Amino acid sequence: MSEILYYFLGFTAIYILMGWALYLPYKVGQLHFLIVACMAVTAYFGGFAAREWGWPFVMILIGGIFIGAMISFIFSLAIGKAPCFTVVIVGLTSVFIVKTIIENWRLLGGTVGFFHIPTVNNLLPIIYIFLFVVGFLIYKIDHSRLGRAASVVFVDREVAVTLGVDIKKLGAFFQIMAGAIAGIAGILDAFLVNSLSPEFFTFSMIAYLMCILFVGGYTTMWGVILSAFILQGIPLLFPSEIASWRQVIYGALLVLIILMRPEGLITRKMLWRLKPRLSYK
Amino acid sequence: MEIFIAQLISGLALGSIYVLLVTGFNLMLLVAKIIQFAYPQIVVISMYTCWGVLQLTDNKFLVILAGISISIILSILSEPIFRKITSTQGVDINVSFIASMGMAMIIMDIMSHSINYGFPVAFPSEWVGGNLLRFGLITVSEGQLYALIGGIIAVLLFSFLLYRTNQGRFFRAIAENRFAACLVGIPIVKTSIFSYFIVGVLGGFSAILFSMLIGSASPWLGEFVALKMLAVSIVAGLGNLRGGLVCGLLLGIIEAMAVGYISGSWSNVIAFVVMLVVILIKPQGLFGSKI
Repeated sequence: MSEILYYFLGFTAIYILMGWALYLPYKVGQLHFLIVACMAVTAYFGGFAAREWGWPFVMILIGGIFIGAMISFIFSLAIGKAPCFTVVIVGLTSVFIVKTIIENWRLLGGTVGFFHIPTVNNLLPIIYIFLFVVGFLIYKIDHSRLGRAASVVFVDREVAVTLGVDIKKLGAFFQIMAGAIAGIAGILDAFLVNSLSPEFFTFSMIAYLMCILFVGGYTTMWGVILSAFILQGIPLLFPSEIASWRQVIYGALLVLIILMRPEGLITRKMLWRLKPRLSYK
Repeated sequence: MEIFIAQLISGLALGSIYVLLVTGFNLMLLVAKIIQFAYPQIVVISMYTCWGVLQLTDNKFLVILAGISISIILSILSEPIFRKITSTQGVDINVSFIASMGMAMIIMDIMSHSINYGFPVAFPSEWVGGNLLRFGLITVSEGQLYALIGGIIAVLLFSFLLYRTNQGRFFRAIAENRFAACLVGIPIVKTSIFSYFIVGVLGGFSAILFSMLIGSASPWLGEFVALKMLAVSIVAGLGNLRGGLVCGLLLGIIEAMAVGYISGSWSNVIAFVVMLVVILIKPQGLFGSKI
């Protein structure tokens, strides 16, 4: 397999995981950017544990999931049912704080970056196994009482409360799930690239994840897969002169999709028409 | 004590610019019912415009005019997009936030590709001014003083517009109750468009004061300022104009004090940690949300 294809498939899978981590809390109307901070923390944890302590990959992965979930859990105690915009600010602020801590911590390489993370054999199949497992879990959640409750919260919070939905618990559950998924993505990213830089975890990454979620469609989990492949493919398909403007392309796509197709490329209605088995009853 | 006074002046100057930014942001939120995340990016574009004009001429009046004009133009150009969003999807501030994030991406990438090869730009010393006071390593520049005076004047002028004119009454009426404002004959669309104009003026002013205060601009500055502006608006309470005034000034002072007493880039984190703690404890803001 060529190197370009290897990294394309690897990164796309990681971004799908991160897209799903954003998709889950958005089911209750929360844009949980804290996942980027979780990803940064777990990626550095993974890299450090592998290089300095010599921990095995499996142990690091379990540690990453635990750390991601714990960070989200602690924050969810305060923002479990907070309005979308408050959750946005908490996430953005946390990303900035984590980035600054990494930049100022010499042990983690500071602004230069953290290098020489050991490689893992057969990483790509492992990434796709995780992708499949997480996807299956999200599919099950989507089609469970929890998923339906979340849909009601998204449409009308007051109706959801009337129906007995505990918005705080539901929000906290999705946030913790998102943190755990971001934890997996962080660990896999560290081992895929074998190096880390604080510059990776910035507004650009948040904006890119927003594109993945909203261009693909936030009402189903399938939209994230489609848009991750399209958006990751853009720099490869176009000449480098055009590809270097990809942020403009992503931004324009985001604005256009909000204006012309607010629910994204893949919507629930579309799935109802195409595959009745995948529909929500 | 000298350090404290110098940092207080610097903090008040910075805080007054934050007040202008947060006021503009809140005005959009209250009147146009949108979250304009790209607003700080427009401010940075205006700073770049000022820098560009300064390369051509020394005429400060022209520089100020260009900076404010570009901010007004960009602000008004975004109006049809937001009007389309609010007309097709109702008043959903989250959707406007997502669209404005797309706009911010576009503006940021254009700046990092097209202007000065993506490198930060430095304003000439004639624009920033020399040092007025010096306390060891810490100085108070003319630019800081101009920013402080300019910020106070701009806030007073905006307060006059908001609380002493008919247009201001229209703004406040729409902010309180859009439907009732419509019933008493207030032109909603016209007032909404005018709010974009006012926000453009505020953005242009902020850009000029920012360029005098910090003396440089970079494509990533908007991201940084956006985060502070949004955090202040949440800490104060979304849409709370008086809260924004207090919290904007407080943020400026906290930041300046942190720079004065804590070394390195850790000082930047202090303000964010304070804001994060306040948000986590009081998600509706210190002064209560008006949305």
